[in-house]
Amino acid sequence: MIDLTVLITGASGGLGRAFALECAARGFDILLTDINAEGLERIKNGILRQYDVHVYTKPCDITNDSEVNSLINYAKEAGIKLDMLLNVAGIDHEGGFTTQSLNNITEILRVNIEATLRMTYKALSIRRKTGRFYIVFVSSLAAMYPMPLKATYAASKRFLFDFSLALGQELKSENVKVLALCPGGMPTNDNCIKAIEAQGVWGEITTNTLEKIAHRTISMALHGRKVYVPGTINRLFSIVSRIVPASITTKLIHSRWHRAQEKWIINQG
Amino acid sequence: MKTVVITGATSGIGFAVCHELAASNYSIVGVGRSDENCKKALELLKKEYPDVPIVFFSGDLSRQIEVLRVSNEIRAYIEAKCNGQLYGLINNAGCVRSYYMTTEDGYEYQFAVNHLASFLLTYYLMECLIKSKGRIIMTSSGSHKRMKMHWNDIMFKHGYNPLLVYKQSKLANLLFAYGLNDRFANHGISAYGIEPGLVKTDIGFKNTGGLVKTVWKFRKREGVSADIPAKIYSFLLNQAEAPKGLYYDKSGEAEYSRQVNKENADRLWALSEQLCGVRWG
Repeated sequence: MIDLTVLITGASGGLGRAFALECAARGFDILLTDINAEGLERIKNGILRQYDVHVYTKPCDITNDSEVNSLINYAKEAGIKLDMLLNVAGIDHEGGFTTQSLNNITEILRVNIEATLRMTYKALSIRRKTGRFYIVFVSSLAAMYPMPLKATYAASKRFLFDFSLALGQELKSENVKVLALCPGGMPTNDNCIKAIEAQGVWGEITTNTLEKIAHRTISMALHGRKVYVPGTINRLFSIVSRIVPASITTKLIHSRWHRAQEKWIINQG
Repeated sequence: MKTVVITGATSGIGFAVCHELAASNYSIVGVGRSDENCKKALELLKKEYPDVPIVFFSGDLSRQIEVLRVSNEIRAYIEAKCNGQLYGLINNAGCVRSYYMTTEDGYEYQFAVNHLASFLLTYYLMECLIKSKGRIIMTSSGSHKRMKMHWNDIMFKHGYNPLLVYKQSKLANLLFAYGLNDRFANHGISAYGIEPGLVKTDIGFKNTGGLVKTVWKFRKREGVSADIPAKIYSFLLNQAEAPKGLYYDKSGEAEYSRQVNKENADRLWALSEQLCGVRWG
């Protein structure tokens, strides 16, 4: 398992950064992209000071078609052949459907769905022709249920979850392995920690550390697994979602998120 | 008037040290993470010590690029107002994290803030310190004892334990002080680590969760006011002749771990240079 080259989107923050560090620790070469150009430079430096791997960076707004094209051209010119794509870039905006702007809502779809598919499509065009190709979609535990107050986000992650399974089947004969990662809360930054805390004990037990998730996700992808739900409790939740009718879980989640969001807003104030 | 830079200066031990030193007529340069807290701290101090020069610079020391920016601002200030001379640097800013989290540079948070930021800030300010035969003080802790450096996984990527990571960072503080004395004593520099004791600060509440918070809630009750350890800092700066020890607590020179030795200090020094992308001349 040496000499793999991995493209990571959303690489300068949270989970993306954890993936970048994990891949570097495994000795993989990495092509990092993020909308935050300065952040890319920082993490590139940090990785080069710790690991002996090639790190390529190219800032890119993945919702912008021509920027993605220049990223792909950059990779081609650098002679990069991809073995793995980690679709990490994604966003959420807090707030109910009617209490936030329409632009916020459509942006969730543009980034989480449209841009992710665009990147996947184009990354496949520069895959290494020999050997396997691995794709990871960062779905979410939120994909397991309809989620009032996070309706758009959860549905966008559900899209990725279903899409991931379907694409995996479709590209099986082309030696492409597709994994859907469905994490619960992750302590990616100080804001997330506050949000996790606001959920109380539920937040605490559904939270997994980033480095573990990153490490296991890569292992699972390399083993050709299709779904990874990190954490025992989270796996239980995802099983429950298949047994209990959606109408009931939706009600439960609504009351839980309602409380959590109130608490979160108070903490912010 | 002698100038002292204090990081983590807007609350807890750092703020108490600002009080203590302003009262002893040192000119104060505080560093804090948030602009708002810096303004508040400055206002409070100015009210009490209207005649003492006090400034604050804000910056997020977890980010190496910010350490550079803040250092440049401090250096410009020292050049303009203090003849380029810095008498004291108190590397006090520290944090606790409940989870393995990385800074934007890709380093574990506690290691980056509690050690690497001090290393880098000291590097940038060394020229000014040498001009004044300065003293450098780290807020270390008795918790550095019964701890070894995790050389093969310095960032605790595997098996993160917040307490061990904190202990290691405090051991690193002492090793850094050791390394500084080793290299810069002949330039007139003295470096120390301080054991402040258990102090009523909010370190365990800032951006932590669950267990760390709960434990700290109980521990904090036993703590003393931050004014008490602040006296150790002023003691070390006030002596006309630089004290010879490495590690001090409220009763004077204290014993430190045998892990604090030249071998470990040199190894940490080389690693820190590597991770900060700098070379001491």
